[in-house]
Amino acid sequence: MTVKKLSGAEIVVEELKREGVETAFGIPGGALLDLYEVLYNEGAIKHILMRHEQCAAHAADGYARVSGRTGVCIATSGPGATNLVTGLATANIDSSPIVALTGQVPTSAIGSNAFQEASTFTITMPITKHNFLVTRTEDLPRVIHNAFYIASTGRKGVVLIDLPKDVQAKRVEVELHPMDTFPGYKPNIIPNKAQTKRAAEALVNAERPVILAGGGVISSGATEELRNLAEKLGAGVVTTLMGKGAIPETHPLCLGMAGMHGHIYANRALNECDVLLALGTRFSDRLTGWQLDQFAPDATIIHVDVDAAEINKNIQVDIPIVGDVKLAISDILKWLAKERIREGTVWLQRIKEMHSACEDCIRDVWRAGSSTSDILIKELSNILDGNAIVTTEVGQCQMFAAHYYMTREPRTFITSGGLGTMGFGFPAAIGAKVAAPDRKVVDIAGDGSFLMTCQDLATCVENDIHVVVCIFDNRYLGMVRQWQELFFDKRYSHTHLGITPDFVKLGEAFGCYAERVEKPEDLKSALNNAFESGKPAVLDMIVGKEDKVLPMIPPGGGITGMIGTERCKRI
Amino acid sequence: MQTHIISLLVEDNPGVLTRMSGMFTMRGINISSLTVSPCEKEGLSRMTVAIKGSESELEKVRKQLSNMIEVLKVVDLKVNDSILRDLCLMKVHTRNTDARAEVMQLAESYGAKIVHASLDSVILELTEEPERIDRLVELMKHFGLKQLFRTGITAIGID
Repeated sequence: MTVKKLSGAEIVVEELKREGVETAFGIPGGALLDLYEVLYNEGAIKHILMRHEQCAAHAADGYARVSGRTGVCIATSGPGATNLVTGLATANIDSSPIVALTGQVPTSAIGSNAFQEASTFTITMPITKHNFLVTRTEDLPRVIHNAFYIASTGRKGVVLIDLPKDVQAKRVEVELHPMDTFPGYKPNIIPNKAQTKRAAEALVNAERPVILAGGGVISSGATEELRNLAEKLGAGVVTTLMGKGAIPETHPLCLGMAGMHGHIYANRALNECDVLLALGTRFSDRLTGWQLDQFAPDATIIHVDVDAAEINKNIQVDIPIVGDVKLAISDILKWLAKERIREGTVWLQRIKEMHSACEDCIRDVWRAGSSTSDILIKELSNILDGNAIVTTEVGQCQMFAAHYYMTREPRTFITSGGLGTMGFGFPAAIGAKVAAPDRKVVDIAGDGSFLMTCQDLATCVENDIHVVVCIFDNRYLGMVRQWQELFFDKRYSHTHLGITPDFVKLGEAFGCYAERVEKPEDLKSALNNAFESGKPAVLDMIVGKEDKVLPMIPPGGGITGMIGTERCKRI
Repeated sequence: MQTHIISLLVEDNPGVLTRMSGMFTMRGINISSLTVSPCEKEGLSRMTVAIKGSESELEKVRKQLSNMIEVLKVVDLKVNDSILRDLCLMKVHTRNTDARAEVMQLAESYGAKIVHASLDSVILELTEEPERIDRLVELMKHFGLKQLFRTGITAIGID
């Protein structure tokens, strides 16, 4: 450790560099002048100026989900910080690691309703894993080190650091780069051996094993272990929305996403299994439906999660394992070392049948009765062929994407699962593209969602961030309209969006490449034009106004009570 | 619904109380009593929180509290294995001599101190198990309780 005399702002930047931060997404302001003064000449940290703080948080989130590293966003005091809130809540509920830095009025003015003052510390308390209001410049090294440690370990999440103006300005002698952590934070990642043994025994004795892969599989980097375990056990694999990408969806054991808008056979597998191994999932209501007695009714449930508070929270489980998913699967595989790979079982035959029924449904683009939205998303999936990073907005576009877009790799399907934040996909795509500049990045958007954050097209153009926004343009808040159609007698209360804007002109006004896709057949050339344009791009895809995402579990229903299954292949 | 007493060892930082109570608010759980005080270790405080709820609610709350960065220890104190105390101050109407005599007699039998007396009221002080205080309070309601103050439960495990 070295003792230096530095300003608070200089300490912040030194510590960010020590944590390996290369990119930050933010907007300066009065309470951040000191910090931005230091960033002005800073070569090691690239700052991307966003056009709205919500987008700064979503971009940091997208960056984190694609890279696996902690995202950083910066906003000024008062409105800057309150604008961050939606983005931070989105990241935190999906366990995405972010460190947020906010400006604050000087400590002497805190509590006086000073200009641009809001109590960021109390406002963000319930939507962060932890937060700090720093009142002494000397505390900065320890706070920043621990903020990154807390955000990126255990169940990952958001940590916010509120930085009063005088704390940034004051010069003090400090020791940089401390190592000490907080006594109350010791994430428990090592699974209990006796529990993994019990799990292994249950799995060996299972006739119809199913693995439910959640976002925890991806965040712990356990995709290879998952695949090995599934193949060894002859287990079907279904994923949650957050778990999409945990296993290639073309893998013969994969039955796709389960849940409210999941594949019928993914849900059926959950219903038929006798042992369910749930990995890194919190059994959200969008997965389980509302009739919990229909969820895996005959199964011994094994639940692995790094957060002990998730065990027995929504579903009562038989074998709980608290710890890192990757370590837990590795332990289970060790217990199974002497077992042979399961082959030719009745259950494997059943999985094969269900997998091919799903695949037919997804690959067979022009199946009779498909809506324009179905066809477009299948086309998009076929064209991109699992090679792009896809982000989604929220609503119908998201569920079409979840249902029909086939992922091959982890960290290539980025969506707001827990909070369901409209306006997330586009700024998340910005963060994704910054994290993976060599990959194609496509935001699957709805017209309603996209208008919530589209001002950041300016950020894309100014910084040469070439993302492609594909808008499902039905001039409706589609998912709400669908519910109104199905459950509220077609009374479309305030879901029609009217005729503005012209999305092609909107894109062009920002200097993007823009094209209207009137028919699904035209998507391929339009996408090609977009990728070749050397610009960020907006594709306005005209879809059926009353297209519906089906099948679905109706409100109040259980996992076996899906409606709209007419187009699903019967087996 | 059962009363549960949770004892927490927390860092003595600004905001810890808000964070802790916010967690209960988020889950729609009412805190029926709360005490915060310094403890044997410098820089740490001890909180005693009493809540009403089912065993499963208690379990969820316990885990969420353990997850908090500034919470070092969470103990679910069982009533039979703990010493529970509450301090009560109450002002009781004594409109006539008979009432005054009766109030003082009852106070004495409960071990309550008379810390102040005026012509029409007396102030009693009692440090006791919360349930015994409840009983004295019920009795005093008969005479008319002008004011009642309780510190809330503080508790220590026997082992």
